[in-house]
Amino acid sequence: MNLKEWIFTTDHKRVGVLYLIGSIAAFAVAGIMALLMRAELSTIGPTITANPSQYNVWLYTHGAVMILGFQIPALTGFFANFCIPLMIGAKDVAFPRVNALSVWLFYVGVILALLTFFIPDPPDVMWTGYPPYSTITTGNTAMYSFTVLILGFASIIGGVNFLTTVAYMRAPGLTLNKLNIFVWCTLAAFVLQLIFVPVLGTAVSLISMDKYLGTNFFDPTKGGDVLTYQNLFWFYSHPAVYVIFLPFIGVVYEIISVHARNAVFNYKMVVYGGVGGIVLLAGEVWVHHLYVSGMADWLRIGQMVTTLMISIPVGLMMIGLIGTLYKGSIEFNTPMLYGLGVVFLFLIGGLTGIPLAVPSLTIGVSDTYYVVGHFHYVMAVAGTFAIFGGVYHWFPKMTGKMYNEFWGKLGFWLTFVGVNIVFWIMMDVGVKGMPRRYYDYAHFPQFESAHQWMTVGAGILAIGFALAVLNWIFGAINGKPAGDNPWNSPSLEWSTVSPPPHGNWPSPPSVSEDWHPYGYKKG
Amino acid sequence: MAHDAHHAEGHAHAHWDTSIYPFIISFGILFLAVAFSFKFVYHNGFAAILAMGLGIPMIIAGIAGWTSEAMGKGEGLSYGAMGWFILAEAMIFVSFFVSYWYTKLHVDVWPPAGNVELPRTMPLVMTFILVASSLTIHYAEHLLHLGNKAGFRTWYLLTIVLGACFLGMSVYEWSHLIHSGFTISTNAFSTVFFSVTGLHGSHVVVGLAIFLAGLPSVMRGDIDEGFMRTAGLYWHFVDIIWFFVVSQVYYW
Repeated sequence: MNLKEWIFTTDHKRVGVLYLIGSIAAFAVAGIMALLMRAELSTIGPTITANPSQYNVWLYTHGAVMILGFQIPALTGFFANFCIPLMIGAKDVAFPRVNALSVWLFYVGVILALLTFFIPDPPDVMWTGYPPYSTITTGNTAMYSFTVLILGFASIIGGVNFLTTVAYMRAPGLTLNKLNIFVWCTLAAFVLQLIFVPVLGTAVSLISMDKYLGTNFFDPTKGGDVLTYQNLFWFYSHPAVYVIFLPFIGVVYEIISVHARNAVFNYKMVVYGGVGGIVLLAGEVWVHHLYVSGMADWLRIGQMVTTLMISIPVGLMMIGLIGTLYKGSIEFNTPMLYGLGVVFLFLIGGLTGIPLAVPSLTIGVSDTYYVVGHFHYVMAVAGTFAIFGGVYHWFPKMTGKMYNEFWGKLGFWLTFVGVNIVFWIMMDVGVKGMPRRYYDYAHFPQFESAHQWMTVGAGILAIGFALAVLNWIFGAINGKPAGDNPWNSPSLEWSTVSPPPHGNWPSPPSVSEDWHPYGYKKG
Repeated sequence: MAHDAHHAEGHAHAHWDTSIYPFIISFGILFLAVAFSFKFVYHNGFAAILAMGLGIPMIIAGIAGWTSEAMGKGEGLSYGAMGWFILAEAMIFVSFFVSYWYTKLHVDVWPPAGNVELPRTMPLVMTFILVASSLTIHYAEHLLHLGNKAGFRTWYLLTIVLGACFLGMSVYEWSHLIHSGFTISTNAFSTVFFSVTGLHGSHVVVGLAIFLAGLPSVMRGDIDEGFMRTAGLYWHFVDIIWFFVVSQVYYW
């Protein structure tokens, strides 16, 4: 293997694998941060550190790296890169060098985030960076700003690249109604990235400008306004949930459709109602993150309505998944287990989100573990399960080899049990009044045993995830040959050899009129 | 049988395309980010200069190498891509303007203390120059389309000169205001004024840089029409944004 051809590669599949390696490494680091926090919280009082700022740094790294270093790059970096050109029958993306630039900018962003552990005064501003704390702390806010800016720029050029690729490079005969659901979902996510990432970039630039360059955006004594930041930040960061949700639910659609051997239920409803509805509503719900920050009532009520409304397209996408399972011939292999796990976990996460949409109910549980439990179910856990299931699903295509089913299933069940222990208990103690972000909970001794259970659950799920990653590594080295199309899928990415060569197909493919990515032969 | 042939050909394809420049540019940007921290967080000017000294040459060399490697080899897709990129760029300006309106309409007293009288004629002249440059590049593209390369070169150079004039006037105005005690940290309005005009100015710089990157090929005569159309589109965008800048920060 030629290392130079990997590092300087411009091929979309190799860029995708680089994204995967980087994002799994980021996942491991951010996961260790979570375990450190869980260890710290396993007893009242100092457990493994006596320094609350240390806990803040873990919290910062966990949140920022999980979202910006793991989920978004794994979904819009790895899956988009590896699958989209193959699914549309293109030889590569529109701008291969831009693609290489975006993956290396991603690595640079992750390196900046990891420098946190080696620099004096590391950033301690959570993943949100709210002023005035972020503009007065002794922590290095600039590091946070540059991490976000660089990762954001990487995803913008990635988005431009893929939108252009799908617009102009589809195989002859591959019309818009024959795109895989994953392609639709990811394109929608890229449109959201292009609209909203620049707003986040602006927001995080402004805090560093205020702190280091003497501007007054958030300084009320000079006529500035602190709440501007929260609005700008959540104007991106709520749609970021959909930037994660859309590709991961797209991955689950591919998994469930193939392993249930069933065409996607109501394709047009999913694409136009589900994906389209989310894109239209994504930018009109951010105020529900500011219900207790001092918002005018007309804004809170208006955005309560839009927040409740967005559960309609999201619900349509869930109906599409359930409908695809209906009367399918379901095979319970590892990718399918993860896919079904997402359906189950996302349902819990989605339903527990509805009370949070309503200001009168939110005020009671705002800043408690209930909120933490809810969003971990809805995006952290569901998203990560989809990523793991997707890697298993396309593993034979990537490597030409098969993973081990036994260890795959064992890993799945351990994580599944682990996450439910951690996050169900989290929602429970949240409703009972446990505030989030606390380094110590001496005022809430009644929650000590719940915290210990959560720590145990975190340990279990960590073992499960580690098993999965080890399974991939061993499978890639000495798995059994998998063949070109082990799942018998009609989708285009399975029509080339495994692993696909540079250029993907010896000659460019074209598709016939009765071909469809979900056209399974009934037998 | 067909399947086997398919396999053999797939494995014979040993060559994978590479490019070193994206890698170099990315790490150049890393050094710039580190330099900012050295200067403003750790107050170590020497280390900052060292990091910049590494980062800036890497970025320039990367862009130069990239341009010479890729110029003229595109598939004519850059024009469509530029549309999407402009959407993202426009959103940066939208966030600045909306924050500005939000702050301005939200606070009790506006303008905040410390404002000075902004010049009235200069921005009009600058508007005139920028609009003129948009027209000249449009006309240049028209000539290129007709195959008149010499005419294209003249109007292309004129566009660069007009853009540089605009930039010069911005610098003059900034230094004038800063000398009269109106700086970026005076109050919330000065913050908005300098950051929005600065942001727009930086886009003028990028637009000019794109034109300059295309200049060698224009002088040689092997002009990439797709590249020029894309560069022109970006320049029109910079021009249109200026209308918002000038109307919001100078006259409202």
